[in-house]
Amino acid sequence: MALLELRNVGKKYGDFTVIDGFNLTVNKGELRCLLGPNGAGKTTCMDLISGRQKLTKGQVFFQGEDITGESEHVIVRRGIGRKFQVPAVFKELTVSDNLEVAFGKKKGPFSNMLHFGRSAGVKRYKEIVELTNLGDRMNTVAGLLSHGETQWLEIGMVLMQDANLLLMDEPTAGMTEKETYKTSQIFNSLKGSHTLIVVEHDMSFVREIADIITVMHMGKLLAEGPISEIETNRLVREVYLGTEGIH
Amino acid sequence: MKQSLYQNRKAQWAAYLAVFALLAMVPLYFDNPFVINQIARYTVMAMLAVSVSLVWGYGGILSLGQGLAFGLAGYGMAMTMQMQYQNPETDPIPSFMLTNELDYLPWLWEPFWSTPVGLFLTLAVPTAIFMGIGILMFQARVAGVFVAIMTLAILAAWYSMAYDMQPYTAGFNGISPPLPFQIFGYLIDPYGAPAFWICVAFLALLTCGAKFLMQSKFGLVVQSIRDDAERARFLGYNVAYYQVLLFTLSGFIAASAGLCWVMVVQYVSPTSLELSLSISAVVWAAVGGRLSLMGAILGAFLVNGIQSYMGDELQQIWMIILGFIFIGVVLFLPRGLIGVVEKIFSGKAATTDAKVIAQVREVA
Repeated sequence: MALLELRNVGKKYGDFTVIDGFNLTVNKGELRCLLGPNGAGKTTCMDLISGRQKLTKGQVFFQGEDITGESEHVIVRRGIGRKFQVPAVFKELTVSDNLEVAFGKKKGPFSNMLHFGRSAGVKRYKEIVELTNLGDRMNTVAGLLSHGETQWLEIGMVLMQDANLLLMDEPTAGMTEKETYKTSQIFNSLKGSHTLIVVEHDMSFVREIADIITVMHMGKLLAEGPISEIETNRLVREVYLGTEGIH
Repeated sequence: MKQSLYQNRKAQWAAYLAVFALLAMVPLYFDNPFVINQIARYTVMAMLAVSVSLVWGYGGILSLGQGLAFGLAGYGMAMTMQMQYQNPETDPIPSFMLTNELDYLPWLWEPFWSTPVGLFLTLAVPTAIFMGIGILMFQARVAGVFVAIMTLAILAAWYSMAYDMQPYTAGFNGISPPLPFQIFGYLIDPYGAPAFWICVAFLALLTCGAKFLMQSKFGLVVQSIRDDAERARFLGYNVAYYQVLLFTLSGFIAASAGLCWVMVVQYVSPTSLELSLSISAVVWAAVGGRLSLMGAILGAFLVNGIQSYMGDELQQIWMIILGFIFIGVVLFLPRGLIGVVEKIFSGKAATTDAKVIAQVREVA
């Protein structure tokens, strides 16, 4: 079943077309990688799905419902979580508070006014703390975390949301090789139970995690298929990978 | 890292209750009506600082218009007190209106014949206005310095209006009700202990209420919005909704301060709508520590105390002195005086935390 479907989606800034007639279908439980050179429209595509930018044409369907033009928080509540390209965490709050803010189905201010409990006892909280390796940093202010830890914290926050669809914009940017490997393990363990769309440049990481890869170029679909197919695709080599192939 | 005593919630509540209990005992130790009135005034100013701490320290919304709720509530209270003095049969029109050639009571004043209605309007109107301003600003995602500019401009507009509508507001002269506020048949002497205790009760209740709220998940979300509104939005929170509620609440606290102010000074004029009062309130909160409600209270008492006991010759240059205090705090104590308390209780690790945060802030 298609969880997410983009139909003939387009985005223009004035006269400049960023995305033009882009189609994408992502099935439940799938991990889809979005590739493309700089300016191909990958991040814009995520902005359009999550409502951060308004589409100039086309439609977005999530779980069979048209979510085109809804505001960000409404789309999030439908079950779409988002990790940003530049890691965004609450720098002045502690790590545990960061996760606490992300947690919970109640998002209205009045229901939260009388809510004092911590989710520390909740199973998922423990799992995520373990998964992201932040156990001994819980009372640290998030602004003091290393870059890799900040990335993991944000991934942890998105997981804490318990979203059906996770949009991950460059989750391994700035990570060491070891950290990248750890992240790929996290992602592989999410496959099946979660649906993910990952924008990434690191090919070894993509090889590690991807089922199907979608390649974008100049706001359009260039190729789509499993990694073996993409690596040998002539068009992809020309615009993105260079003639020497994938490193 | 272990949680310090400063961050321990039970210790915090104990400290808050101790401070309010001590404050309430002031009339038992000082028999001087002047001193009691003076400290009552500081208490009212502390309330205004709490409203700033809530909206700016916790919510990251730098409002330079807190004096708007304060001043409007002040006028509401003065109108209520004035109408308590007027007699519907023999003397229905306040004397300043007669001298301004107004020979009927304006409709704006009519509801104030009734004290309960008057008190209700005193608090409800400024709160509603803050809600309206909040909805307009935060729906449009106005943030940062633009909030400061807008609130400042709105305040300036209301100041001019209060100043210009002389027949209705007595203009520059202001309204001075001939008798103190009267409730349940008692006159509340502005220099007496009951007036003082009412102010302390208002401050204690509002501060504890605000603190309670900031410890709930609502407070946590508000602080997360301060750090990164976009991130909070993408965790499913309607950011504008939270901001409007916080702003409205701060308006209500500032309005309560305005009500108490006129009760203890028995006078209101456009000075309470002046920009300098609102900006001073921001300075008090910053000096004491805007990230803590108690810090804001401390700042208000301290700065106002310094101003009162500084000597007449220095009063002329008070704003310059206040400016230097502000610069000093921003440079050396980014978390305000309460930050020093935090350091003492937190040990070394948290001290470096605070320093790094200050650096992060400067870079950002």
